[in-house]
Amino acid sequence: MQRNWFKASALNKNFKKGLKGMRKRRFHWYLLLVLLTVGIVIGCSDSDTTESVEEETNDSESDEAGEEDDLFVLGEEPLEISMFGNYDWYTMPGWGDDVATAWIKENKKVDITAIDGGGNAEQKLTTMIAGDELPDFIWTDRGASVERLREGGALVPLDPYLDKYTNLRDWFGEEGINMLRSDDGKLYQFPNWYNSSPFGNAGYVINKGIYEDLGSPPLETTEDLYEYLQLVKENYPNVIPFETGIDGQGINVLYSAFAEGESPANINNVAVQSGDQLTSIFTDENYIESLQYVSKLFRDGLITQDALTQDQDMVIEKVTSGNIAVFASASPTDHARTGHYNLLEEDSDGGYFMIHPIHKKGLDPNEIYPGSYNMMGWNVSVITKGAEDPEKVFAFLDWLTGPEGQASLIFGPEGEYWDGFDEEGFPQFTEKYYEDPEGLAKVEEDTANFQWNGNSNFLDTAKAKFEETLPEEHRNWTTHWQNTITWDTQYDATQYLNISPIPESEEGIIQQRVGEIFEEARAKAVYAQSDEEVEQIMAEAETAARDVGYQQLLEFQTEKWQENLAIMAGE
Amino acid sequence: MKSEVITKGIKVNKKKSFFKRYFGQFDLQMMVIPGLIFIFIFNYIPMYGVLMAFQNYDIFEGMMGSEWVGLEHFKMFFSDPRFLEILRNTFVISGLKILICFPAPIMLALMLNEVKNMAFKRTVQTITYLPHFLSWVIVAGFAMSILSTDNGSLNIALEKTGLIDESINFLAIPEYFWTIIVSTNLWKSIGFASIVYIAAIAGVDPQLYEAAALDGASRFKQIFLITIPSIMPIIIIFFILEVGNLLNAGFEDLLILGDSAILRSVSDVIDTYVYRVGIGSGRYSYATAIGLFKAIISVGLLTLANYIARRNGNSLW
Repeated sequence: MQRNWFKASALNKNFKKGLKGMRKRRFHWYLLLVLLTVGIVIGCSDSDTTESVEEETNDSESDEAGEEDDLFVLGEEPLEISMFGNYDWYTMPGWGDDVATAWIKENKKVDITAIDGGGNAEQKLTTMIAGDELPDFIWTDRGASVERLREGGALVPLDPYLDKYTNLRDWFGEEGINMLRSDDGKLYQFPNWYNSSPFGNAGYVINKGIYEDLGSPPLETTEDLYEYLQLVKENYPNVIPFETGIDGQGINVLYSAFAEGESPANINNVAVQSGDQLTSIFTDENYIESLQYVSKLFRDGLITQDALTQDQDMVIEKVTSGNIAVFASASPTDHARTGHYNLLEEDSDGGYFMIHPIHKKGLDPNEIYPGSYNMMGWNVSVITKGAEDPEKVFAFLDWLTGPEGQASLIFGPEGEYWDGFDEEGFPQFTEKYYEDPEGLAKVEEDTANFQWNGNSNFLDTAKAKFEETLPEEHRNWTTHWQNTITWDTQYDATQYLNISPIPESEEGIIQQRVGEIFEEARAKAVYAQSDEEVEQIMAEAETAARDVGYQQLLEFQTEKWQENLAIMAGE
Repeated sequence: MKSEVITKGIKVNKKKSFFKRYFGQFDLQMMVIPGLIFIFIFNYIPMYGVLMAFQNYDIFEGMMGSEWVGLEHFKMFFSDPRFLEILRNTFVISGLKILICFPAPIMLALMLNEVKNMAFKRTVQTITYLPHFLSWVIVAGFAMSILSTDNGSLNIALEKTGLIDESINFLAIPEYFWTIIVSTNLWKSIGFASIVYIAAIAGVDPQLYEAAALDGASRFKQIFLITIPSIMPIIIIFFILEVGNLLNAGFEDLLILGDSAILRSVSDVIDTYVYRVGIGSGRYSYATAIGLFKAIISVGLLTLANYIARRNGNSLW
């Protein structure tokens, strides 16, 4: 550096004399540059003050909105809403590009624009929060992401609107609303796909061709399953006997076979119910036994050897080509359905079917739940303080979850596939509904990413009514198994809702650490060489988890769980 | 210059002459200023963000409103039960990469230099540097399908040649992971990294080789006595940079190939940990603290490597 400095200055000396007269002017240039820099810095810091002013005005506006008494009717005046889907995979299709939303746009004068997460939703959301540029509503998962926004004072409580716009209350019910309330007793979240009756697809799918070829042995207990898988391995060396889906979901499903009256929800919570306490999963005998069973299947080459490493594409390839004998996962129907129709084309007697969940000998088969659901459905929409008029946003969401909104979104504009409502309030389907299933399916598919607050109570009833009128061979494969097996064998896990702490909290840090210990222990147990090794792995994991504060987490979860039970009991 | 210093007192003269010199060469300084402003705005101003490491940063409150917690996040990281494991993985993976992936392109360049058939040389060069342009998602995808138990080509090859009876689940055995990650890295980076050395070798004065040949030096003697010493400064500079990067053991490769829980004990390095625990669950302060820790060590390592190199007269600064 120093050497260069002298070189430059020596070089400069030669110019010095001739340039003397210009030096003054150059000094002005320098001053200007300094001033510009200062200007930029000041300009940047200025934005802080304007932001806080905006916040205040937003606050007062939302208060006023709550006091207004006149009802906002959709379509009376144009309404523009901005939304953000807090998922990496989510990109909203153009509002009005399909028949359903085009109708809503024209007749209800609602226009929706989306802020795109660009494949990294969390980061985009953080940027919006930091820049105080929140959209009108955010579509996101329940729990931590909502709580963080609420604690930061970014959300508008929905309570003032509940009595004015009543679809949510009518269809979702008071109990559900109470369960969704935050710690401060207010409701901030608008649920999606809420349901009061069981739903879900978790369970076991069997390859019919292979099963019948092997003499249709009984498949009821874990022993039956083991023998059947052995049989498959001997006779079909190129077929994977037991496929688990991604993240070893099928391994979790197998836990249900050993735990009467429990569900794999325990695995997600990393806690098992014991009396009125939630206790360690590492010492739970049922869980250890299920892992011993899985590790035996794995050692004997009966489970896909890529169970914990494979990605979705690999699973889809295997399942849709029928290269598996048994398939268990959290929602095996998604791809088994495609596979079923593929296999049918090859062999009219082939395809997939589902069985009643496997159970360990001696347990009550009716108390086995390979999956769980909760009444809150999938996710929620929250209205932010960034909304100019939160009431109007709520009015729209409430309309969308009501009969007219749902029917328009799922079955298309009135007059085509449906016309008016029957006396029970369900849409009356037209002849076209029966004649043009592809067109109907297209409407629903096109609006899949607009279904922010799906109303399962309404749609399932409407669809079931229709499905009943069809002969069995024309019924949808998935719908058929949902009605006959999976819906009856899902566990109501509503009581375990929101028992997870916020990630930054002390318990949240413990949960993250325990979660990693659990994940690693589970993987090690699957690859274990003996039953004793599984026990040893779990014992070590228990010690490691205790060391990072597992007990404190369990107490936190127990407390939240007990609060849920109290709310559900109607206190 | 010297006479000036002597005639006017030393201290006063130095200060005066700085400004004098500065404005004296203002035309040259003007060219530097935009660069300095750029660095100041984009590299120095954002640095206030490291303050986050000493706060419980609350995204709603911002920097000013967040609570100060001192070194708590650093303590939390050091007391994390995985800390030592993560640090070990970082150093081991990074060390293996330096040990194997650093000399490999130099050897490739030396070998290519000896190839007299230009068409062959160009072909090898092109083929070896193409993988550099593939993203890690694709490379890891290749690796996964080659190593897969179900229809993976490596397992099929080993089975057909009778070396193994049953498929080996390469990506589920922790002992194999470091080999896999280093070899995929080698495959991906060797060609591109060798370009610099090939260029450097091309700059060596051919007269040196002629003279050596006349003196009876063999091919190997020429490589060791002429080529390598000639490109030594470049090798050393790249080595210094590499050492400064010691704590960057890689990110995408480890994130994609080593994501399964069974591999975490060998694949988790500082960067993947920061991503998963810090960014993934929105613990920005924690992530910043670890990042700061990493940066400080990196600067230290860089300075150390440079100091050692300077004693050989080939330093970066």
